[in-house]
Amino acid sequence: MTETRAISAPSSAGNPSDSSPTAPGGSPPVPPTALRSNFLPSARRSLLIYVSVPTVAFVLLATTSTSPLSSLLSYFPVAAVDVSYSFLRMLAAYALSLAFSLAYGYYAATHHGGERVMIPVLDILQSVPILGFFPFAIAVLAAATPGSFLGPNFASVFLIFTSMAWNMVFGVYESLKTLPGDLKEAADTFGLRGWLLFRRVLYPATVNRLVYNSVLSWTAGWFFLVEAEIFTTNTSYALQGIGSYLSFAASAANGPKFLAGIIVLIIVIALLDFAVWRPLGRWAERFRYDVAPAGESEIVATEREATGRFHRARVYVTERVRTGVTRISTPFVQLAAITVRPGRPLSGRRRSTIYYVALGSILVVVWLLLIALGIAVIDVFRAPIEPAVRNQINMVPLAIGASTLRVVASFAICLAISLPLAIHISRSSRASRAGLPIIEVIASFPATALFPVIIFQLIPYLSAEGAAILMLMTGMMWYLFFNILSGVRSLPPDLTEAARAYNVRGWKFFRRVLLPGIFPALITGSITAFGGGWNTLIVAEYLNVGAGKQLSLLGLGQLIDIGYALGTPGEALMAAALFALVGTVIAINELIWKPLYRRAATQYRYD
Amino acid sequence: MALIRVEHVDKSFPTRHGSISIMQDITFDVKDSDFLAIVGPSGCGKSTLLRLIQGLDRPTAGQILFRDQPVNSVSKQMAMVFQSFALFPWLTVSQNVAFGLEALGWSADRIHPQVERYIEVTGLDGFQEAYPRELSGGMRQRVGLARALAVEPAVLLMDEPFSALDPLTAESLRDEVLQLWQDPSLPPEAVLLVSHNIEEAIELADRVIVLSRRPGRVLAEVTVDLPRPRDRKSTAFYEFTDRVYSLITEGRPSLAGTELPANGDARAG
Repeated sequence: MTETRAISAPSSAGNPSDSSPTAPGGSPPVPPTALRSNFLPSARRSLLIYVSVPTVAFVLLATTSTSPLSSLLSYFPVAAVDVSYSFLRMLAAYALSLAFSLAYGYYAATHHGGERVMIPVLDILQSVPILGFFPFAIAVLAAATPGSFLGPNFASVFLIFTSMAWNMVFGVYESLKTLPGDLKEAADTFGLRGWLLFRRVLYPATVNRLVYNSVLSWTAGWFFLVEAEIFTTNTSYALQGIGSYLSFAASAANGPKFLAGIIVLIIVIALLDFAVWRPLGRWAERFRYDVAPAGESEIVATEREATGRFHRARVYVTERVRTGVTRISTPFVQLAAITVRPGRPLSGRRRSTIYYVALGSILVVVWLLLIALGIAVIDVFRAPIEPAVRNQINMVPLAIGASTLRVVASFAICLAISLPLAIHISRSSRASRAGLPIIEVIASFPATALFPVIIFQLIPYLSAEGAAILMLMTGMMWYLFFNILSGVRSLPPDLTEAARAYNVRGWKFFRRVLLPGIFPALITGSITAFGGGWNTLIVAEYLNVGAGKQLSLLGLGQLIDIGYALGTPGEALMAAALFALVGTVIAINELIWKPLYRRAATQYRYD
Repeated sequence: MALIRVEHVDKSFPTRHGSISIMQDITFDVKDSDFLAIVGPSGCGKSTLLRLIQGLDRPTAGQILFRDQPVNSVSKQMAMVFQSFALFPWLTVSQNVAFGLEALGWSADRIHPQVERYIEVTGLDGFQEAYPRELSGGMRQRVGLARALAVEPAVLLMDEPFSALDPLTAESLRDEVLQLWQDPSLPPEAVLLVSHNIEEAIELADRVIVLSRRPGRVLAEVTVDLPRPRDRKSTAFYEFTDRVYSLITEGRPSLAGTELPANGDARAG
């Protein structure tokens, strides 16, 4: 009579351990672009790649460059200072994102009324190409703080925040929503509530996803940070940081200086990876609520690890980071706990502190966007539009077509590369062991840092159009690749086994089993990739660093940038192009991705 | 005096196609130092009944009294042991056991000895700092048991506590639960066990409430007057299980109604 049943959490929205960045334009339970979760590459392998990439670059430079390599060393201090500026911006944006995601995600998950509004709002926010608003944000904030370094810095922190926050909010929201019912009930039976309920149950439930999504957020954040800094390079609001450093180095064709910057950036990213994210990820494993079926495997693994040479150092770092995180997050946790009302342990509609915090933060975001638009609109009506600007505005319809074609072309190439690559890697353990760590390290490096080189060195070979598409690809590729990868990996083994049993293979297998199986992940990847593509347009279509070196291709990104460069008279152009961009994105989301996503969610799910 | 009185309890859940009745007119008592089991086919509302008794949910009609007071909110006099253990994976064994005590607002220096006591009672000594995922199923359920006992409840509610365990582990844990209940120095006064395993119910309980298929109704209340320890292979034991089996298989909802079975086993008031 007694049955043996492995205890697995009855999770409705897929594997809760997967980190899932969310789909712009899609609905929440979006499976995983798991950069690190299930297939954390071994530390040694990653280290090897971190070391070997700059070494190879160094050797290449040494054999080709004419400038003395001894000068390479002399650039390190400058690069280090600039990276520190960038890092501080990242830190500020991350702190903001952490506070925002805990408050917003917690409120949305526990209050039905709030949920119905907050999740769609978030959906819109993350599908809008935020980078398009950056020129506005910087213009507005710089105007608000004349002559101060604060304005442009606020603008860039705000930009980075928008690239980090949404993903983390969904992490908090989903981990609270997918918390197994029996755990909630156990908390209820013991009458746990208030601060204790938050500290013991709700907050721990979010930790695992929050940590993994933080890794993703930092990757996206670096990408945006460098892009923002490159953008300001030749404007009156230049931001000191690694992006502008690289941009200057590339425009001066200073190989050693550029390389020094790249090496320093790699060192910082590798340090963060080893000193923060890996220990933190290991610690966060404890907070997974899909308790593994009873067995020795984990204990054995722990013992094996304990004998490792780095174990003690790792434990030390983990503890340090852990106490740090606890200390940092405690105020937010306490804030949230105030509002968990006695008697209604897991729900309740009371308008509480947290409600106002969440509402306040979202209002600030919307407000900033509206002000930026409003000022532009006022300017349009106040001043007559100059004929030159008028001509540019007339180009907007054409620019919509050009930009869309460019993004679609990049998407097609990315798909053609990542589909076979992801399928091959996930189906061959050898390819997975060898290839995945390399891909993950490359993906964690902000490709925007290489944009100056693409623009200044590769245009002669690729043509401007080719360079733009290459840059777009760096902004789209990884979303697609990692989503397809996790899609193939989460294909139920019994389905592939059944296909084997019926001798379905080759093209038929691809059409009948693989493609339908990964369809939801493919759509999610496509939506996120398109989101990345639209954002990259701002730099990929236009960059002017003076000295006759510039990239300028007809497109919405170009028009926004030109409008920004023209100053006040150009604001009408900026506004027109931006409205066109937002409209295009929303139209494509609503007309193409949403229906596909709905289909994916209903027809192609296997649970 | 009855510890718990379940009086004419109905429970139905609203669905898209109208409400669906889970149980109808359930009435029984749990007495002091009772070991009561509720058995029935799947879907007869056994687990729902347990949740109603603790106050996690409200009956649609009828009422539940604990020491003559209606149960209107989650009762602190009862503690639940879950089929799925429901341990918090981010808490150690000690912290999981302390879980309910913290909720009661105990101070740390009171919690510690209490936790140690019940960790020892349930045979978890040495595993204080382990995490649930490092334990076997049987050990996990011991933690679930220790967590429930630590709050020293008057009634221990057990929802299919042995179903997720392998047969041998379940057997030894059953013995231990029985010993805990018989030990007068330890809580609880009464145990209320929900099970779909008839042998298990008859092996453990003083009385067995037999429920019908959905909507669940009380088919019979069987008093098991076999001396403990009970031998599953004895003829008397077999007769009890056989009787309950036939009650359930014959007890179609239409036949069950309000009438009690013909063999009119024990009807304790």
